[in-house]
Amino acid sequence: MSAGPSRVDPRGPRFAAWVTTAVLAVVLVTGWWPLLAAQAVVFAIGAFAGFGVAPYSILYRTFVAPRLGPTDEREDTAPLRFAQGVGFGFAVVGVLGYATGLTALGTVATAFALAAAFLNAAFAFCLGCETYLLIRRFTPTKERALR
Amino acid sequence: MTGVLVLVGTLVLATVAGLVMRSRNGRVRTTAATVATVATSDLPADITSVLAPGGVTLVQLSTTFCAPCRHTRVLLSDLASRTDGLHHTELDLTERPELAKELAVLRTPTTLAVDRSGTEILRVGGVPRRDELLAALQPHLT
Repeated sequence: MSAGPSRVDPRGPRFAAWVTTAVLAVVLVTGWWPLLAAQAVVFAIGAFAGFGVAPYSILYRTFVAPRLGPTDEREDTAPLRFAQGVGFGFAVVGVLGYATGLTALGTVATAFALAAAFLNAAFAFCLGCETYLLIRRFTPTKERALR
Repeated sequence: MTGVLVLVGTLVLATVAGLVMRSRNGRVRTTAATVATVATSDLPADITSVLAPGGVTLVQLSTTFCAPCRHTRVLLSDLASRTDGLHHTELDLTERPELAKELAVLRTPTTLAVDRSGTEILRVGGVPRRDELLAALQPHLT
């Protein structure tokens, strides 16, 4: 969990959120689960390997950032990586749904991930980050039982 | 076909949710319960123990995975340092979801303004709007 920069240009994650929104929209329309599986891998890289090697971050740094000019603004990556992890969870459930014939499950999971990506892209609202507390509030019993 | 309908529905719902959240974000809220509360403090000891002895304390509730918490910290500590009788402190809820439940806090950052008697005056979800917050606090300062 230590690889990659700890702070990034905040426009990078917004760009990545737009790409994610587009990819998930195509998955919803076509139901083509290999594309969702690819997106799950992208989420996993962002969450577990960091933004230094995340595919959409590399796209941003290579093709988009040079056209935008530099910025001094920086954003912590810890919340963003947590949100990528949440996206990964939904994408995995979606792939399992589509691939096993439970299309409704695949559709719902993809729709949730799409809503989160779109809110991030259009409103700069990181649903995964903001609901971290909510997720914690509703899952404490399991963790306490494990202790 | 179902996919297209779900796609459109999701985007419409997300847009509505985004607009609602944008309009509520950073707004000062004084709940009926807060106003009705008499001088006695009903806030948990975790909160009352971090209050400054006089004036109003802004108790910022944060988590590790929270980018707007950083912006809020900068804004509130600056506001507190420029305003007489206003203090700022931060509590991390990451490992204490039960405290979030007790305070009915659903998201971070949430900022509680607490007066010297330990009564909650108001709360703000998201990065506060500086002028609005200061105006709402003014009657409680001095």
